[in-house]
Amino acid sequence: MENLKIGVFLSDCGKALIEILDFDNLTSFLKEIPEVTVVERGTEFWKGSGLQTIIRTIKEQKANRLIVAESLPKLSEIKIVEAAEASGLNQNFVQVIDLKNHCAWPHRNVPLEATEKAKAMLLAAIDRAKILEPIHKLEFPAVKSVLVIGGGISGMQAAEDLADLGFEVHLVEKAPFLGGIAARAGRFFPTDDCAACIQSPASDVKTITHTSRKCIYRSGIAAIQGLKIHTNCQVVGVDGQAGNYKIILEKKPRYINETKCISCNLCAEVCPVEVPDEYNVNLMNRKAIYTITPNIYPPTYVIDEKACKFNECKKCVQVCPTNAIELNQKPETTTLNVGAIIVATGFKEYDPSVIKEYHYGEYPDVITNLELARLLDPFGPTQGKIVRPSDRKFARRIVFVQCVGSRDKRWNDYCSSICCMISLKHAIMIKTSFPEVDVSICYIDIRTTGREHEEYYEKARELGVKFIKGRPTEISHDPESNLLIVDVEDSILRRLLELEADLVVLATAMVPSEDTETLAEIMQIETDEDGFFKEYNAKLRPTETKKRGIFLCGGSTFPKDAPSSSLQAHSAALKAVKFLNTGKIVKDQKTAVVNEEYCGDCEFCPVSCPYDAIELVNVDEKHVVAKVSDLLCEGCGICVGTCPLNAIDLRHFKQSELLSQTRAILSIKGQDKPLILAFCCSECGGASVDSAGMTMSDYPTNVRTVKVPCTGYLRIEHVLAAIRYGAQGVMVVGCMSEGCHHEDGVKKVETRINVARALLKEYGIEPERVELFNTIFVEGDKFAEAARTMIERLEKLGPIRFSKEV
Amino acid sequence: MTKIKEYNVPFSKEVSSRYGGETIVLCYQCGTCASSCPVAKTTEKFNPREIFRLVLLGERQEVFQSNAIWLCSSCYNCQERCPQMVEVADVFFALRNIAAEEGHLPNMYLEFASALINDGRIVPVSKFIERKREQIGLPPLKSTGTDALRKILAATGFNNLQLKKEAES
Repeated sequence: MENLKIGVFLSDCGKALIEILDFDNLTSFLKEIPEVTVVERGTEFWKGSGLQTIIRTIKEQKANRLIVAESLPKLSEIKIVEAAEASGLNQNFVQVIDLKNHCAWPHRNVPLEATEKAKAMLLAAIDRAKILEPIHKLEFPAVKSVLVIGGGISGMQAAEDLADLGFEVHLVEKAPFLGGIAARAGRFFPTDDCAACIQSPASDVKTITHTSRKCIYRSGIAAIQGLKIHTNCQVVGVDGQAGNYKIILEKKPRYINETKCISCNLCAEVCPVEVPDEYNVNLMNRKAIYTITPNIYPPTYVIDEKACKFNECKKCVQVCPTNAIELNQKPETTTLNVGAIIVATGFKEYDPSVIKEYHYGEYPDVITNLELARLLDPFGPTQGKIVRPSDRKFARRIVFVQCVGSRDKRWNDYCSSICCMISLKHAIMIKTSFPEVDVSICYIDIRTTGREHEEYYEKARELGVKFIKGRPTEISHDPESNLLIVDVEDSILRRLLELEADLVVLATAMVPSEDTETLAEIMQIETDEDGFFKEYNAKLRPTETKKRGIFLCGGSTFPKDAPSSSLQAHSAALKAVKFLNTGKIVKDQKTAVVNEEYCGDCEFCPVSCPYDAIELVNVDEKHVVAKVSDLLCEGCGICVGTCPLNAIDLRHFKQSELLSQTRAILSIKGQDKPLILAFCCSECGGASVDSAGMTMSDYPTNVRTVKVPCTGYLRIEHVLAAIRYGAQGVMVVGCMSEGCHHEDGVKKVETRINVARALLKEYGIEPERVELFNTIFVEGDKFAEAARTMIERLEKLGPIRFSKEV
Repeated sequence: MTKIKEYNVPFSKEVSSRYGGETIVLCYQCGTCASSCPVAKTTEKFNPREIFRLVLLGERQEVFQSNAIWLCSSCYNCQERCPQMVEVADVFFALRNIAAEEGHLPNMYLEFASALINDGRIVPVSKFIERKREQIGLPPLKSTGTDALRKILAATGFNNLQLKKEAES
């Protein structure tokens, strides 16, 4: 092994620290350490001449480990590591420590003791430097092809974006036609344009402008180079890993050859079988061979398997001028190879028949908003006339009921967020076409939170829509008059009302599409408590899943309106591009590594890994060992803390590094006070230690910090080791319980700390010497206070004494 | 006009800390209870939503001054249908318990209480009932004996409620 040449660079932050830390003392201390070959002092080392000094030290003085004490921890770390790597030094050999915020500022009133703590911090970094190993870059191939599941507004737009950028895209829709729930809805709010409308693709050469929007049928979506549309098709299997997924698709038979069909409608004219048309609220019949609406893609027909008499009839086959009907089609299975998946499976209307008091499904004149949309559609069963389904008489009095199955703890706890706007849109449409119709909306709260949404509410009031603040308890039916009666309290007037209505429209909740659970199982991605797909982080990564290479958009994560669905579609497409653009996935091997000699036959680590990065592989017939995927591992180290056999370690933060830092940082005592070791995580918990410095919150110098990737990394032995090396108490500083950056690392360490406390108690050591603190960046004062409290507590307890008395 | 200086929020806490009253804090005033209520349909004196509103705003005195909380017939229709799963009828029991402890017991309930303690029955056996039973061939009602009952009532603190009211009157 090459000789260690450690270069240490001390920044006095523009002389701000000179009055607190004795830099001469630190320099002479460092020079006595044999491995330290260079000690430099300066005002800043992350740019300008300071950075040049570092580069020179690497190139000319051949320093092979760097320790830089700088004050802008992250920015300086990035710049220094970049320069070091460019000069040929591995990134893992560079350590940046923060003497300002972790030492000088919080201890500015005790300069002598602060200098001693700075020595301890430097020594810890030096001892760690001695055992560091290089971290290598890994490359994984990535197929520049994307699967988009769901052909609604989100899926179509994401697919179009990707195809326009030159990616191969497979758009899979389980229904026979594209469009999704939006196409059924007829019109969109707040733009009032039609729902079967998407952006114009770049490949449409004959369009006047690509910025315009287009009906699906004239959008040219099917002609986009590289975009393959699979309708009547489902994803039944997903295998492989990010960048290289194997997809199994199952195409249901349409019994029509899409390429031959010319949509002449002769087949439907001769078809003798008529069935109620569910798509049109059963208000009309359709044939067994049918299409749903004229402006749809693909412009072809489909045969209803359950209704068609097939070879007994064959009338359609006889009339078809292009021989497009193929009654012997069978389900087909195809496999695809894609690099990423975008899930755009949307939402569906909740079936309100479970809410018995509203009698949906029992009284024909109680319908849902989506069914009303079909009545309002000029292509619909009534050509836009509003009738009562029971007798097809014109509906003169219409009552909307809001929050049906939403905001209702018995069914769906959440607000479905778009139903108020849908009802307002429908009320406006009705009042505009038929001003004489009496429209009432019974609501709990009207929610118009989007841009231009409040104008809808205003317009509805102007048009004379009545708003009744009250949730109806029951809908009953008077058989004599064939009227519905809605029981509701007008809570503003404190008056009980019985509203007579021809038609009652339920603004039902929006719930996950029926295949959500199955797909989640197939792709091994998570769903939330309401059954929608769960995003990685709602604030910052709303279109990503925890599984690399699988993205979400539109209503698959929560009910949303068209503008939000579009936004998410473009976002998911961008994330997929970012992921696959270079044709390879590059990442540092900052991952866990299994010692196969010790590992065997247990399942703790695969279960505890938040990234599903560990699997068990057979070594022989009876024995298994854990195997970490370098691609999926995020390097949190929760597996290290979990492993009962201590057979896992992190390449970028070995347990030996933790222990040598712990020993070194406790080896120099500055104050006549008990020593405390604070293990803090590298995220929010660690940031609170930074901010204690930034806000100059005082705490004793005998509180020493060692950073770990996540507190979930910590094992009970680490706590005991700190005590063995001289700590009188141990603090563990992690993120907030629900805010752990690695899902539940901090919750896991909480359990372990409880075990450690019980263990210490066995030996007569007070359990309150060990404690977990949950903090975020802005809580620097909370950390400082916790540190002061711990020191006071330990002073009262006195030194650790092992005893048999429990 | 009512001038609101400070709402007495602890009242809703007081109710929600009682057995049966826990869920009142979930109420979002949709009025499902009011439109479900058979009593509210017959009298304007009773509106469960309104009473809940008063409780949530801390109008303690107003709630106990009227006899409205005693009008709930415990049909549980509201409780079945409340979208927030507020245990509406049970909240009324919690309110009544507080009222009774503080002596806001309407006379009718006081009579029930004495009948229960003295005769072991809420409805006294009148001559009319005895005659009716004889007419349709039912045996005469025997005395229930109140020893066991009194022990139970003493254990629940029921007797204390009774005494408090009597002492006041």
